[in-house]
Amino acid sequence: MFLRALPYIKITVLILFIVFACLPLVQMTMISFIATLPQPGTDVGSLTFGNYANILSDPNLRAAFGNSIAYVLINICITVPIAIPAAYAFSRMSFLGDKHLFFAFIAFRITPPVVLTLPIFQLFSALGIVNSVFGIALAHCLFNLPISIWILQSFISAIPKEQDETAFLDGYSRPRFIWTFLLPQIAPGIAVTAFFCFMFSWVEVVFARILTTTNGKPISMAINALFGFQTDIGLVMAVTVASIIPGAVLVFSMRHHLSRGFKVGKI
Amino acid sequence: MKERNNTGWLFVLPAALLLGLVGLIPLITVINYSFFEIFILDRRFWVGTEWYNEIISSGRFWSSFGRSTFFSTLVLAIQIPLGIAIALCIPKRQFWVGLALAGVALPLLVPWNMIPSLWLSLLNPDTGIVGRMMAAFGWSAEWKMSAVQTWAVIIIMDTWHWTSLVVILCYSALTTIPASYYQAAEIDGASPWQVFRHIQLPKLQYVLLMAVLLRFMDSFMIYTEAFPINAGGPDGATMFLAVDLGEEIKAFNYGPSAARSVLYFLIVLTVAWLFTKAQNKIDAPETTKAT
Repeated sequence: MFLRALPYIKITVLILFIVFACLPLVQMTMISFIATLPQPGTDVGSLTFGNYANILSDPNLRAAFGNSIAYVLINICITVPIAIPAAYAFSRMSFLGDKHLFFAFIAFRITPPVVLTLPIFQLFSALGIVNSVFGIALAHCLFNLPISIWILQSFISAIPKEQDETAFLDGYSRPRFIWTFLLPQIAPGIAVTAFFCFMFSWVEVVFARILTTTNGKPISMAINALFGFQTDIGLVMAVTVASIIPGAVLVFSMRHHLSRGFKVGKI
Repeated sequence: MKERNNTGWLFVLPAALLLGLVGLIPLITVINYSFFEIFILDRRFWVGTEWYNEIISSGRFWSSFGRSTFFSTLVLAIQIPLGIAIALCIPKRQFWVGLALAGVALPLLVPWNMIPSLWLSLLNPDTGIVGRMMAAFGWSAEWKMSAVQTWAVIIIMDTWHWTSLVVILCYSALTTIPASYYQAAEIDGASPWQVFRHIQLPKLQYVLLMAVLLRFMDSFMIYTEAFPINAGGPDGATMFLAVDLGEEIKAFNYGPSAARSVLYFLIVLTVAWLFTKAQNKIDAPETTKAT
């Protein structure tokens, strides 16, 4: 009896959870289509696309979208190429202090950004990269690099080691082996890694806040700037909806990679 | 066996250098500041361990510590089992799996500073979906006055925000189980519980460890989301560790905030150490099997 009902129970639980996950977003989307501040031509409370039109016409908001996309892309371009050789080393080689180094990486991943805000701000001012997308991209490496190494390492460990050895016998050097044989095989892993980098970086606010006081503000900070004496909450919600769209598109296009799964191996 | 080869260092060097720049150097700076009284950054006085004594002996620190520990315990107790359960409910390979995954992942993509606003507007008794429903059931809109209800709101909000991460990690680990395992289990007449206990759970070990680590630390140091819900109230009932630190930084108390940061980093180190211990423990039986 229970066994026959099991598939239906599963579907019901899943649908309930998705409803729970989407409920605040539905609320948000509803408000984003409502005029919440008196404006010429529309009554407060009436249905409108005006909030979305306002995003397009506000140069600050347009710039914020550009900044967010820019720093996330820069972050991925720094993180992934550095993480691949490190993940390879952790997966295949045993070297002096490898366990301790991995431990240090894990410790930095879980260090809360608020602990390091002040010195990072000072350091980055000295380097002249505050108020720029490059500064945020670099700061986010603190948590994205360890997690990328961890994910990539699991993908590399899933590839049989015999392949490395055959390639070395054939006269390939390690870097050439990684480039010609390993990279194509872990391509799904690289995609998953980039997705996780995007996910953790796009929504982060602590570093984004302290590193952008005048310029280079990402979406999250541009939304913050909208709060004031008379907050246009409809516009706030519309910007938030728009900020979720790139990620949602990315998850949907990544669905096969995510559901192909990654086997998490040992270091 | 992995080969013993110190050229491995060349491969991890870029990563180590980068983390040295954005992690280690700031950390050393913080440790340095924590021993000084600082008015402006150029003018400072050595005070030794005064800030540490002050924090350790203050009741405020320990009550925040207790609250954060309790909060993280609740978060783990709810989100990890729920995440596993939802991951088990997602079907293996069907066309709408992609849509289900995207639906589940949406909360992870909302900028963190907007999450409290979302939930406040959801709970608004006049305009919010949930708020109006609750009002119809006679629930008072005065939840901000009650510590228990404020806690419930923050726990539900955090569950909404982060369970999806557990789901995605578990789901992708589950998909690596070969179909033949399930077929063998079916032939043996294994119950769903036995399948879970002996086939699915062992595959989940590593990702669960990672999920527990990430969820524990992020909830223990919850900052951006918790404060705006009720400004740490009522009566400081939702003042968590990171909120205390944030307040000190906002007040430009460089010395005390640095000392606090160092104490928090020691907690981080302890947790990371427990994590690697646990990971080695999972590894150990497998390596003995292999040899």
